[in-house]
Amino acid sequence: MQRATAPYILILPSFVLAAAIILWPLKEIVSLSLHDVNRFGMLRDFIGLEHFRVLFADPDFIAATWRTLVWTAAVVLGTLIVSVPIALILNEDFYGRGIARILIMLPWAISLTMTAIVWRWALNGESGMLNSALRGLGLINTNIQWLAEASTAFPMQILIGILVSVPFTVTIFLGGLSSVPDDLYEAAATEGAGSWDQFRLITLPLLRPFINIAFVLNTIYVFNSFPIIWATTQGGPANSTDILVTYLYKVGFRIGRLGEAAAVSLIMFAILLVFTIIYVRLAMREAKA
Amino acid sequence: MSRKLKRSILFWLLLSPIVVVILFPYAVMTISALKSATEVLNPNWWPSELRWQNFPEMWQTSGIAEALANSLYVSALSTVLTILVSIPAAYALSRYQFAGRDLFRQFLLVSQMLSPIVLVIGLFRLVAGAGMIDSLNVLVVIYTAFNIAFCVWMLQSYFSTIPRDLEEAAWMEGASRWRTLIAVFLPLAVPAMVVTAIFTFINAWNEFVIALTMLRTEGTYTLPIRVFSLVAGRYTVDWHYVMAAAFVASVPVAILFAWLQRYLVRGLSIGAVK
Repeated sequence: MQRATAPYILILPSFVLAAAIILWPLKEIVSLSLHDVNRFGMLRDFIGLEHFRVLFADPDFIAATWRTLVWTAAVVLGTLIVSVPIALILNEDFYGRGIARILIMLPWAISLTMTAIVWRWALNGESGMLNSALRGLGLINTNIQWLAEASTAFPMQILIGILVSVPFTVTIFLGGLSSVPDDLYEAAATEGAGSWDQFRLITLPLLRPFINIAFVLNTIYVFNSFPIIWATTQGGPANSTDILVTYLYKVGFRIGRLGEAAAVSLIMFAILLVFTIIYVRLAMREAKA
Repeated sequence: MSRKLKRSILFWLLLSPIVVVILFPYAVMTISALKSATEVLNPNWWPSELRWQNFPEMWQTSGIAEALANSLYVSALSTVLTILVSIPAAYALSRYQFAGRDLFRQFLLVSQMLSPIVLVIGLFRLVAGAGMIDSLNVLVVIYTAFNIAFCVWMLQSYFSTIPRDLEEAAWMEGASRWRTLIAVFLPLAVPAMVVTAIFTFINAWNEFVIALTMLRTEGTYTLPIRVFSLVAGRYTVDWHYVMAAAFVASVPVAILFAWLQRYLVRGLSIGAVK
């Protein structure tokens, strides 16, 4: 192997494969979004930004966009808030820690589709066991039709979203916590720092990079997450739980308006890109400071 | 009471809400899978009899055996392929300085961001244009492509923690670069490879939207699509069979995962922050 060409040969297979599966469809989407397209995907006239204009005039699209932001922010922030204390506990030494770790990680191993289907059954208005559990505990008197209205369906979907995002996030935090040297705490304790001060002054700053990475990865995953909403309500009733990905799927594969669906893809891409650029800027500023 | 016991009780109390919420769907799944067709519609917790025969009946009628085989095929093959193309790329990123290095890293970042769903319209056109709808091998290639970014990133941050001295010592003794790679470097990188392989496998095993879009006949369905098809767009759903199928699809993976999860914590922590 020649030294100069070696790295290129090494990255070539991965680059070619990823580029073929990512750049080519991206090119297709750009061209679809700018042309009049029939149901069967035949390109007709170039129409510029017409598909985008139609989208921005569609109240369902605007509603789905806002809902996507609520969905992403609620699931990501909820996940981080729940995960930090869980990770702190799982990092301590206590009886049954191994079992606790396995239990917390469990949702990760199961496909989102399967989790969503089981929840859909558990949330069923008549036969669902959540209603019977809540009635048994005396918390409700009449059955709640959880998935029949957006006002209950969407919050439940957010809860499921948080539940399935916790394992990955806790794992990253546990990794971060295990890299904090114990003598730092010992030193702090001899200086008279209480446990809250130790957390605020040692744990949190050292956990920062891990919180950042969990924030970015979760945001990307949650923003793009399809199975939870699709397998529980398919965006219904009356599109009231649609987020951009389910809206995109309906417009593309149910109604067959491929041009508009492609435009939605590009808008999502743009949102993710802006988010990533902001993050990279912030990360770089922090690295300098 | 010893201090550790007190702490244990306190910690378990603090964890109990989330543990209950996590275990709740498993309980629903298990109990529903053991109810009869009429009783499953009663929201009682305890069935009057445990119908174990739901499992063989479901196995006969749902086509889940085929789906299991399809899922295993797709997940195993895309895991192997992902690891095979990611190792050299990660090695290049961690051991060489070359023009275009940052560009390649940015490309990986963008491909991490663009999950399959964002590209699904374009991917569908690509696959349909090639006349390859309904092919499991298409799924293998797509899953591999979308897992490369994460794997390369994880592997290269782990590779960077392996000291160069070890390789240099081997070169000094006259071993070729290739031999050093095989005999010295890769054995040290086994933990990282195991973690990334588990990740890729789980991702492929659980993937939904691409499989939903590309697979058209029941014979090619993967597990998530198979179970979803038992629920979606049906007037009546045999929930006791659906839950039995979900049980079969979930519990073996959960057990495997429970056994492997301790490797993940270490592996991810090294990979997550370089």
